[in-house]
Amino acid sequence: MTSASRTKAFIAVGLLPALLLFVLFVILPIIWSAYYGFFDWKGIGAATFIGFDNYTEVVKDPIFWTSLKNNMLIVIASVFGQVPIALVLALLLVKNSRLHTFIRSAVFMPMVLSSVVVGIIWGYIYHPEIGILNFLLDGIGLGSWKKEWLSDPDVSMYSLMVPIIWNYIGPYLIMFIAALNNIPSEMDDAAKIDGAEGSRKLFSVTLPLVWDTIKVAVVLCISGSLKAFDLIYVMTGGGPAHSTELLASYMYNNTFSIYRYGYGSAVSTVIIIISLLLVAGSQYLMKRGDRL
Amino acid sequence: MMQLIQRKWKSGLVKTLMVLYALITLYPLIWLFMSSVKSNEEFYSRPFLLPTKWHWDSFSRAWNVSDMGTGMINSIIVTGISLVLTLVIAALAAYVLSRFQFRFKLLVMGLFLLGMLIPIHSTLVPLFIMMNQTHLLNTYGALIFPYVAFELPIAIFILQAYMNTFPREIEEAAFLDGMGYWGIFRKMMLPLSAPALSTVAILAVLRYWNDFSFALVFISKPALKTLPLSLSMFATGYMTDYQLTMAALAMAVIPTIIVYLVFQRSIMQGMVAGAVKG
Repeated sequence: MTSASRTKAFIAVGLLPALLLFVLFVILPIIWSAYYGFFDWKGIGAATFIGFDNYTEVVKDPIFWTSLKNNMLIVIASVFGQVPIALVLALLLVKNSRLHTFIRSAVFMPMVLSSVVVGIIWGYIYHPEIGILNFLLDGIGLGSWKKEWLSDPDVSMYSLMVPIIWNYIGPYLIMFIAALNNIPSEMDDAAKIDGAEGSRKLFSVTLPLVWDTIKVAVVLCISGSLKAFDLIYVMTGGGPAHSTELLASYMYNNTFSIYRYGYGSAVSTVIIIISLLLVAGSQYLMKRGDRL
Repeated sequence: MMQLIQRKWKSGLVKTLMVLYALITLYPLIWLFMSSVKSNEEFYSRPFLLPTKWHWDSFSRAWNVSDMGTGMINSIIVTGISLVLTLVIAALAAYVLSRFQFRFKLLVMGLFLLGMLIPIHSTLVPLFIMMNQTHLLNTYGALIFPYVAFELPIAIFILQAYMNTFPREIEEAAFLDGMGYWGIFRKMMLPLSAPALSTVAILAVLRYWNDFSFALVFISKPALKTLPLSLSMFATGYMTDYQLTMAALAMAVIPTIIVYLVFQRSIMQGMVAGAVKG
């Protein structure tokens, strides 16, 4: 074999396993789901071609819109919950002292736990009769605030925000601490000479310097918002009365609870389109923000 | 003097608040461990206090009831095989993408980039249908193949970025010594990439070990259930036996926490790198 053809063979053999797995298990399903979306199919028996009927039904279904709204609520909770909390914590925890490292580890800890564990623990915390939240409220004399945290459709979605925020603060905290540590120490000295201290230094020196990291964090919140399925599946399953339904649980329930495979496929396709739009949109906003 | 005292007070207050915050953050876990040794009565009669009598028997009971042994073994098998496949396949692809020029390179990289933007859950339904037709459902492969496939893009990008920093001279010297591409890959690229490989491994292990949605949809045979799946039966079936549930959760959590405490620095950095690139 010549050396050129040997190189070619190596390139082909080197990429083949990765490409094969990736195309078969990531790309192909996406194409299939767009295709199955055009059929009425129960999983067994014949599939009937029904054109765009599934897709129009998705767009007309109010539960679909509730799910989309809930996904957006998670985005909002992440952007205005996780990011500010992580930033404040990072400003306070920037040193490498033993206490600071301990608190960082504590905040990051939920990230390594299975969401099934997290979901069951928080399910107990919120439990109306035996949950510690209602006990706590009784104990501090706020018994009138007691609620059925997960089974009252008016509050259930908001109850779910707390574990979601709690679970995912860690990475943002570490990102912000890294960004703060990257600020050159000359900047600190210069600010001191100019007499900038406390909040003035924070707003005119520190925050502008970590602004890029904040933007990255916001983009991550947006793309990460579609990942909350596990936690919600364990805690509420999308109920009560679809009040905590997410796009992913809406898809899951339609496919695996009532066996509408065609319809579930259509929902999958819509989820992919929405998430690509979200990513493109957030990238665009960030780019525009750069020019301003 | 007054100023100094004031500053001391302020930093003391901040410290106290920080510790309080850390305790609140950890409280769900502390409560989990406390409740796992309490009787069902004390679970709600003394929710914030340590148990009067420690019940260790709940651990063995929970282990048997939920068949956690099977879950552990399945999780170890699936995570282990997926991890090895991920490292080998991704490192090989990263080596090719980092060192060779060829016609479809941009297309291949674009394809992997696209893969990172696709939410995993959106492929559950079509994958289920495909695996049902190919009789892959209820096998280890039903988890291993999708796990590896979805982890490949991020793994390849981390490894490729790392390999790009190696100077080319080292390979040229090896070529002159008569080493082929495979030799260079095995004897130079793999050992030199150890730090990046460990980042990839951490991300992959955590994702495989904790995955719930793929296991939920693709595995229904009890003998093949992974750990998160055997725990999830507590979410529905045994919710009223608090002691049992909490003991099961505690046992599932302890190994993860130990691993986390040992590798916390690299876990934190690895997960942040994974999040930012993905």
